Amino acid sequence: MSDAALELRNVSKYYGEFCAVDDLSFTVPPGCIYGFLGPNGAGKTTALRMILDILRPTRGSIRILGAASALTVRHRIGYLPEEKGLYKKMKAWAVIAYFAGLKGLSSRDARRRAFELLERYGLKDFAHAKTEALSKGMGQKVQVLASIAHDPELVIFDEPFSGLDPVNQGVLEEIVTDLRARGRTVLFSTHVMQHAERLCDRLIILGGGRRLFDGTLQEARQTVPHRVRLESEDDPSALKDVPGVVGLVSDAPGCWQVELGPGADPQRVLRACFERAIRLRSFNSAEPSLHEVFIKLVGPGAREATFR
Amino acid sequence: MRYIWRIGWREFFENARTKGFWIGILLFPVIILASGALPVLLATKGVSTRHYVMIDQTGEYAPKVRAEMTRQRSAEIDGALRSFARRIPTPEPLVPFVTPGSSNRPAPSLDLDGWKKQAGSSYWTVPGFSLPRAAWLEVPVPIAIQTSNDVPAIEGLLRPWLRGEHVLPPSEANPTPKLFAAVIIPRDYGTTTNEAAALRYWTENTADTGLRDSIQRLLGDELRRREYQSLGVDPAIIARVEAKRAPITDLNPRKAEGEEKVGLADRLRQWAPSFFVYLLWISIFAVSQMLLNSVIEEKSNRIIEVLLSSVTPGELMLGKLLGIAMTGGVMLSSWLGSIISMALVQSKFFAPPAMAGGSANAAASLPADLLSLFQSTWLLPAFGVYFILGYIAYATIFLTVGSLCSTLKEAQNFMGPLMLVLMVPLFLMPFIPRDPNGPIATAFSWIPLYTPFVMMNRITASPPLFDVIGTGVLLIAFDVLILWGCGKVFRLAILRTGQPPRIVEVFRWLWNR
Repeated sequence: MSDAALELRNVSKYYGEFCAVDDLSFTVPPGCIYGFLGPNGAGKTTALRMILDILRPTRGSIRILGAASALTVRHRIGYLPEEKGLYKKMKAWAVIAYFAGLKGLSSRDARRRAFELLERYGLKDFAHAKTEALSKGMGQKVQVLASIAHDPELVIFDEPFSGLDPVNQGVLEEIVTDLRARGRTVLFSTHVMQHAERLCDRLIILGGGRRLFDGTLQEARQTVPHRVRLESEDDPSALKDVPGVVGLVSDAPGCWQVELGPGADPQRVLRACFERAIRLRSFNSAEPSLHEVFIKLVGPGAREATFR
Repeated sequence: MRYIWRIGWREFFENARTKGFWIGILLFPVIILASGALPVLLATKGVSTRHYVMIDQTGEYAPKVRAEMTRQRSAEIDGALRSFARRIPTPEPLVPFVTPGSSNRPAPSLDLDGWKKQAGSSYWTVPGFSLPRAAWLEVPVPIAIQTSNDVPAIEGLLRPWLRGEHVLPPSEANPTPKLFAAVIIPRDYGTTTNEAAALRYWTENTADTGLRDSIQRLLGDELRRREYQSLGVDPAIIARVEAKRAPITDLNPRKAEGEEKVGLADRLRQWAPSFFVYLLWISIFAVSQMLLNSVIEEKSNRIIEVLLSSVTPGELMLGKLLGIAMTGGVMLSSWLGSIISMALVQSKFFAPPAMAGGSANAAASLPADLLSLFQSTWLLPAFGVYFILGYIAYATIFLTVGSLCSTLKEAQNFMGPLMLVLMVPLFLMPFIPRDPNGPIATAFSWIPLYTPFVMMNRITASPPLFDVIGTGVLLIAFDVLILWGCGKVFRLAILRTGQPPRIVEVFRWLWNR
């Protein structure tokens, strides 16, 4: 038996003829933050529901915290669904305590945890407010707290950042990193690449129900050619001959993108500019962002998916 | 089981916290009390005394009408005084004339004739007693009218009074009394049948026919009496004939020897189940509706997903059923409790409110009869059992309908046809007590969806044991089937979003594993 927090093997889910998740396999090691990325309709929510055993896969197997079904270890799992909602007439603390109670905490512990969390994450004053009186962001925070109140080993957040302002996004990032610091595993789906970039140790990118990438952030970046952007009044066509340069395109008058092959050193391009007397106004070499990786991997498919 | 309880408790507390729940609980006894007190209140306070004038050109009929009206009025006063005498403690001057209540006749009774003899003509002047308001009061004709004038002339003069343009002289109770009606008995009344000689009854208010009806009845009696006399029949004989009534005693062969007489208690026994059926129906649908709303709330809020990551759909369904059952149980127990405690309080401490004549005695024994009905029959236990079994079937169906829909509007589309099916027990309700073990009652008892209502309606009529046990077993089996089938549909439907599935699809879910 593996000691992974979560392991999916060849999991597929069909709704009639339609394939929502296609032969998906990946492993989430314990104690890491794992990003679950993909465009709309990529099968993220379906995959998460299958992981939680709310839905049964058509094929394949899932092991979660060593168990074959999330239901048998549900007390060790926290879940925040994509569409957020709370019981409108319940008080904030009571909602947290109720969900913690359903995860096995005694009524007294659940209540204590609810107040503790509300205080720690700045909602102490709203503990006794009905959730319908809370702002959207506050309500969402309450829901996040409800999902972690029982101190789960594995937390699954579906689009946790959507609808939060930058300050509250910061609070949520803090919650996520706190969890990792205490050795918990966090799996979260998002299509905001900056969050994934800042938080994730590993990530998986889905598209059309299939796995497009699985690995560390560094590995993800390597899937996209390194680029150098330069501005010059001279024609830099001569750079094409430089070893490691695989392409050169102009994206605006006087602006050029130099595409580098794997392992090519941007410094060499700079040196070549001096050698070939190309006068530079700017020279910019940065690692490809996750955004670029994402667009490259899912771009065409995502457009199709939108109109499917 | 623990999670089923948790879900149930939350459901219960959420409902118990709402104003509607408490209003429902408190309103019921108020309505019961009001339905008892309202007719009395309306009779005594609601409608003010109606004033009328009577112009009799024959000079023969009015005295008869007046005499009868006076007799009715004193009977009314006697009835009110009898009720007043039942007050605890007994009002002071009446003490020697009141026999205290006993165990089989709980209300104290007044020896009215004895009291009248002692008190004399104004026997109603007892401290604390106020005369009941008279429904009708004849007043003198407000203007100088020559009763010998032509009828149209008299009527022309009375019209402004009848229209309320002029009011009568003020009285203590009413500062601006209006003339309610005018009764004109024309000169040749009773001699011919042509319309011109008919009694002319004038009023704006054609809905309240009380006065018109009693005058018509009195004059009818009088005309018949005259006719007999004109045919040479002795008035003493007429009086004897008129006093004849067809006596009738209702007997029931099922009752113990010597006690076969059918009384209020027996009628109650026959009709009380209908009340319970109604209560059952209201409570089952009220709570099933709550369940529907609650599941739709969870579904539309997407809370359902979080719940399903914590508990199984089965646990969720059972928890919700349990929670709403508790809500309904508390509501019903408080309703029944309030009926029983009202009956207890009434029969132990208070005389019933004043009612005209004999019905006061019947009303006096009603609470006691009700209590003995509860003690001697299976009414209450059966109610409990049929509530639970009926609730499981209906609530599960409502819950499943809720799980299929994302909005209340969608649910209402489903509910339309369902409600029609569910109205059947209400339509049946009046017929079953008439023939509680007849073919219709028996046939409907065996339809599980109707078993709780129909059997409840039959329960005090000693239905065959085979029917009781057979339909009970069938109902339990049906409940199990419903729970199983709806459980399957619920599990699949609850996470569905968008359009509700087609019926065919729902059946496919049922048959597939």
